[in-house]
Amino acid sequence: MKEKLDENFIKSLVNIALGIVRGKSDPYELVNGAVEYLISNKEKYMDHPNIKAIAVLKMKGLFIDNIRKNEKFSPMTDDEGKTIDVEDKKEDISEKISLSDECKKVLSTITKMGDKCQEILMLASEGMSMQEMQEVTGVKSVGTVLSRLSNCRKELKGLMGS
Amino acid sequence: MIDETKIMQYADGTLPIEEREEVQKAIEADPKLKELFNTFKETGDLLFKLSNEVKSKPLPQNLQEKAEILKSWNRPVIKDKDKSFNFFGLFKFQYAGVAAAFCLFFVGGFYTNTFMASLDDTSSGTVKLSKKIEVEPEKLKMRSIQKDDEDLQTRIANLYRYFDEDKFLSQISPLINDAEVNDVIETNLEDNIGKKINFTVVENFRSDGNECKKLDFSEPVKLSNIDEGTNISLDLCKVDENYELTSINLSK
Repeated sequence: MKEKLDENFIKSLVNIALGIVRGKSDPYELVNGAVEYLISNKEKYMDHPNIKAIAVLKMKGLFIDNIRKNEKFSPMTDDEGKTIDVEDKKEDISEKISLSDECKKVLSTITKMGDKCQEILMLASEGMSMQEMQEVTGVKSVGTVLSRLSNCRKELKGLMGS
Repeated sequence: MIDETKIMQYADGTLPIEEREEVQKAIEADPKLKELFNTFKETGDLLFKLSNEVKSKPLPQNLQEKAEILKSWNRPVIKDKDKSFNFFGLFKFQYAGVAAAFCLFFVGGFYTNTFMASLDDTSSGTVKLSKKIEVEPEKLKMRSIQKDDEDLQTRIANLYRYFDEDKFLSQISPLINDAEVNDVIETNLEDNIGKKINFTVVENFRSDGNECKKLDFSEPVKLSNIDEGTNISLDLCKVDENYELTSINLSK
């Protein structure tokens, strides 16, 4: 079934973007870039059966581009020239989206996990199928996706409990 | 030994049915697996909750505007390869009758239920509009309709002649609810040379909040003497539990 393109589609991208930006930037920025890309390539993608995967891959690409350009994610300094810890920024993200305490804790825990876990957990939270997650993450097999997701969920549970 | 990914899939409800019983028994028999099951159940619930909460927040204005642009992609689009026709997307077949009447009025000067058609360059005969033409379209040449511009009107008129909307809807209604994309729906409807018409479901979409399906005539239809084949697609939308014809698209 073709993806319904509406606000919920974009909100799904925001949720996934939370796992891509790793608490280091504004997820809306990435989503905006990906949606602009889809709109400017309408003819190519409007009937694509997995347009969400296209958008997620674009967000990943944009995030990597940003890091390479070293514009947004270079170490930030305060007025006295001291480097501001990225951890401070992580808290800003969940504050900005104004989540409940429980969800804030989940998101905060996820952002402390490894990149692969952050990504796959947010993709899973969107109810993506294993095949879709394989396509987006670029791993070799569905089995790898399953075992990565299983390990990350165990790790999440461990961190949440501690 | 049960693979823990099976436990995860079981907790998520995504494990194939045939494997569920075995996994369920293993969980019941082994406390460690039961704990693992609870871990997956709990993290699944947390991730679901997080996703729902993020989605419950309003989007920034710039993304709301982009959502509106994306929404417009869901609306039916006329596939216009050469020349296409659509009555404003709010189409009932009865309007084709009006179009046909206009067409015949301008061609013949007045409207009757018959019109003149020449079967070759030298002879002519009268053909009843409400009946199927008994000659092959290749031999049919309509008086005064020579220009390409007029061909579209001719094709609409001829389509209206053999296509019975009520009959179409009565035949299609019991089948369309369960029809999936690429399913072929067979009917007893005939085209203007007596050939059975089948329809292929080509798309599911939503329009103005209604479930809709796009059906293509399975083959291009020859609708006039100079027509080399017209692709016809019909948009049907569910209104009050019944599918209604909402638009007809003709394209070459």
